[in-house]
Amino acid sequence: MGLVSGYNLRSMLVRKGTAAMTAMGIAMVVAVFVMTLAIAQGFRSTLVASGSTGNAIVLRKSATSETVSAVLKNQLPIIESMAQVARDGDGHPLASPELVVIISLPRISDGRPANVPLRGVGPRAYEVRDTLQIVEGRRFVPGTREINVGRQAVGRFRGLTFGSDVKFGGATWKVVGIFTADDASFESEVWGDVDLMMPAFQRGGYQSVTVKLSDPAAFSSFDVAMGADPRLDLKPQREREYYEGQSETTGTLIRVFATFVTAILSIGAMFGAMNTMYAAVAYRTREIGTLRALGFSRLRIVTAFLAESVALALIGGVIGCILALPVHGLSTGAMNMASFSELAFKFRITPGLLGGGLLFAAIMGGIGGLLPAIRAARIPVARALREI
Amino acid sequence: MKFARLVLKSARRSKRRTALTILSVAIAVFLFASLRAVLDGFSAVAEASSSTRVVTIRSTSMIFNMPTSHADVIRGIPGVQDVTWANWFGGIYKDPKNFFGQFGIDAESYLRMYPEILVSPGEKRAFLEDRTGALVGDGLVRKYGWHVGDRIVIQPGIPYYGTQDYTFTIRGVYRSGASNVDNQTFLFHWKYLDERAGGAGQVGWYVTQLRNPDDAARIAMVIDQKFANSPYETKTDTEKQFSAQFASMLGNLNLLLGSVALAVVITTLFVAGNTMAMSVRERTTEIAVMRTLGYPASTIFLLVVGEGLMVAIVGGAIGAGLARLVINGEYLGMAGGFIPAFGVNNWNVVVGLGLSVLIGILAAMIPATMASRLKIVDALRRVA
Repeated sequence: MGLVSGYNLRSMLVRKGTAAMTAMGIAMVVAVFVMTLAIAQGFRSTLVASGSTGNAIVLRKSATSETVSAVLKNQLPIIESMAQVARDGDGHPLASPELVVIISLPRISDGRPANVPLRGVGPRAYEVRDTLQIVEGRRFVPGTREINVGRQAVGRFRGLTFGSDVKFGGATWKVVGIFTADDASFESEVWGDVDLMMPAFQRGGYQSVTVKLSDPAAFSSFDVAMGADPRLDLKPQREREYYEGQSETTGTLIRVFATFVTAILSIGAMFGAMNTMYAAVAYRTREIGTLRALGFSRLRIVTAFLAESVALALIGGVIGCILALPVHGLSTGAMNMASFSELAFKFRITPGLLGGGLLFAAIMGGIGGLLPAIRAARIPVARALREI
Repeated sequence: MKFARLVLKSARRSKRRTALTILSVAIAVFLFASLRAVLDGFSAVAEASSSTRVVTIRSTSMIFNMPTSHADVIRGIPGVQDVTWANWFGGIYKDPKNFFGQFGIDAESYLRMYPEILVSPGEKRAFLEDRTGALVGDGLVRKYGWHVGDRIVIQPGIPYYGTQDYTFTIRGVYRSGASNVDNQTFLFHWKYLDERAGGAGQVGWYVTQLRNPDDAARIAMVIDQKFANSPYETKTDTEKQFSAQFASMLGNLNLLLGSVALAVVITTLFVAGNTMAMSVRERTTEIAVMRTLGYPASTIFLLVVGEGLMVAIVGGAIGAGLARLVINGEYLGMAGGFIPAFGVNNWNVVVGLGLSVLIGILAAMIPATMASRLKIVDALRRVA
């Protein structure tokens, strides 16, 4: 095996130009594959990062997202009094009643209005969502028309800079702080006091309540207790699972698009690899005959040529991954179908994604090289040796 | 063209290789034409939108409602011919995955202002007479196998509309007469919706028909001024601007689809260029003999480019033709109303063919230069 593989790899070097062109064709396909899936990946992990395993989000039964849920004001104390809800040092329950509405603000990049999520939160929201960090200014003071803005929203929409006044809901609000949230979707949001948001947007109740559980394992008993209480037509979900579900619609759409485009594109690249390998086999007919005459079996010839094709494709795959790498961390925005608002996220290339790209390249090489390899093995020895 | 036969002969020298190259160009052009069609689908919606209609939504965002009294105010503005309104229902049909637009419309005025919604007079009457009736697009009917007279149960998705299921009876099926009307929409009576919601008289958006399209900007401003400083401030745009904004919310489609299309072209260039180079290298001796016989270098150059061009155009014709046959909006109900119906049109085919010409010429450039610069003595001495 070693001898034949070595021979094949050296033959590749002899025909540098052709090999390079084929590898580049495959590289382009892998680059597109990695980049488009990096969008889906980034979108998903931004939403998933929003959910903590130690938190539970309480929504109306059968509600699929916050926007279609409703929690009555008088249900909040019942939830807060439940034993599974964690408490801070002063004994206050760590629960945040929330209301998300969408406001329209012009985008900085093209001046067109985009939907920005505005989240009214309870006074202890920052203790419930402990990944949130104020990086500039301070937290809003409950009961005042002050707001905090996520880092991603500051850079994308006009009028959200630190210290500026924003008009919405029939009032003027002052930006008193900028926060980060470990790249979570909250960074695309604007936060303010939920009790002021409700009258501003003519809403009579909350949409959801997010609680910090006293212990992540307490979730099931929390779920059972809530189901048993006839005053609550609500159901808790683990926060992480909720946000995973939220990424599904848009994530699937991007993934379907990525698969469709790369699948078709890969067929083209596969034809290219096939061409190259057929030519390689044709050029080396005599050499193959010699190998066979020396006693190398047909199977070894097939595997050797397959290995050559896969190696060529893998080189392409590596180049493709390198070509795709610069987009990692670039931020972009897309509509989140679940909340109907714009979500900023970063292209995210994970090791798994790169591995997938290489595997994809290897498969292209394998399929492209199979027929030529079989042809190489089928060459009759006598005729091959006679060839000039 | 006395050289045509020569080009044809050399293309047929390795049939398998030529076929594979043709197919890879075909795939690239297929993909390119389809991507163009998607983008065209979005702009067609904006293009077909009427310029005599303006849309009024709440200035905060379109998810908020306005009172019905706005209609009378708008109707009183000089230059306004007609007003209608609608609400977004956002309900769930069986499964949240079955997404399609559901609008509660003020039926009579809506159908009057949207002549693009094509419905037979009999079905229109049946719909207008049934308070719980629905008028559905033919795309939806095909997708879910509905018939006129079927009862459709939809679960409300927005708390405002309550928790009880809504039952509608399909009274008519409409066809779309222009790209701005989606044929996958479920229309029903706003009155019924309002009754079920407690008769609060809340409207999602108003559409105003103007007498004169040149007034659009001025009247849009007058409408917004009428409601300025009220609890329900508005923002009015022409239908065209409105749909352009909606498309831009999906993300930077032009950039995404554009870069994918570029990658498609580059990949194909590599594949096709490689094959051309291979076939030229194989024919080194032949080319040297031709040069010896007196063919000038420029003719050799043109022969190779001609071969590349021929292969690419055949591939382009196959790809564009296939895309024209397979990709048509009729059967592609992707994501309901979010992505408009799209189909590959003749213009996409022309652009696809133009692209294949470009691929053919570019891919043949280097091999053709190689062939024309060949040193005869070296080439003849070479053993293939």
